[in-house]
Amino acid sequence: MIRDVVCAVLLLLGALSCLLGALGLVRLPDLPARLQAATKPQTLGLVLILVGTAVRLEFENAATLVLIVAFQVVTAPVISQIVARSAYRTGTMARDNLVVDDLADRMERDAD
Amino acid sequence: MNVLRRWPQVLWLTVVWVLLWGTVSVKIVLGGLLVAVLVTALFPLPLLPRLPLRPWRLVRLLGFVLMDLFISGVQVSWEALWYGPRSRAGIVAVPLLSRSNWAITLTAGAVALTPGSFVLQIDRRGFDAGEARLYVYALGLRDPEDAERVRTMVLRLQHKVIGAFGTPEELRMCGEAGE
Repeated sequence: MIRDVVCAVLLLLGALSCLLGALGLVRLPDLPARLQAATKPQTLGLVLILVGTAVRLEFENAATLVLIVAFQVVTAPVISQIVARSAYRTGTMARDNLVVDDLADRMERDAD
Repeated sequence: MNVLRRWPQVLWLTVVWVLLWGTVSVKIVLGGLLVAVLVTALFPLPLLPRLPLRPWRLVRLLGFVLMDLFISGVQVSWEALWYGPRSRAGIVAVPLLSRSNWAITLTAGAVALTPGSFVLQIDRRGFDAGEARLYVYALGLRDPEDAERVRTMVLRLQHKVIGAFGTPEELRMCGEAGE
């Protein structure tokens, strides 16, 4: 009974997190901002859903889910970072949206 | 025997193997060990100096990252829902406190895990002159004060990472008492 409740709460929270990520993906203005929405809440949502699933499974099967979580947490940020870096360098990033841009100052100084 | 010196990697790969099978038996553990030794011998990773580990500070670092994860998760969701297409961002330069690959990688990883921010560029030039910088992209900035807040946050994170994994020398440089 308690297991069912914990499982349901975790699954719903995970789904909510994924939904927020999807909304952010649609609503945010440029590539790096959308990357944030596409990677972080999605990761959190997946982790919550898998933990929720693990609560209802036998221990042996739950252990495999831990691996999925670990690899997701390790790989997702790395990929988003590489995409964002190339977005900045190729000018796909909406620069007028930036309140401060210390990197542009640095790159200008390097160009001199 | 380089494989012997890489025993942590062998151990970790064996654990992954056993987790993939989902059951523990002598045959699977031995098979995993065999595969792990083969992989380690055929594709050796560079040997890095062993890290000092301070468990209590590691727990505090994990707590800090989890709190940050939760708070900025809420902030980014709010930003997306309320401001949407009008949301603003910024790229903030943060002084780099350590030159060790471990500390920089862990800091960048933790920043990348928290919603709304990642490290866009790492510039290690001029470390001794205090000019080395991390360039952090952060979503949801409105004014320079917000940028200052991001800078303080990442600096605190770096202090915690170095506190948990840094060499005694780095601890002194950051003004943290060694244990």
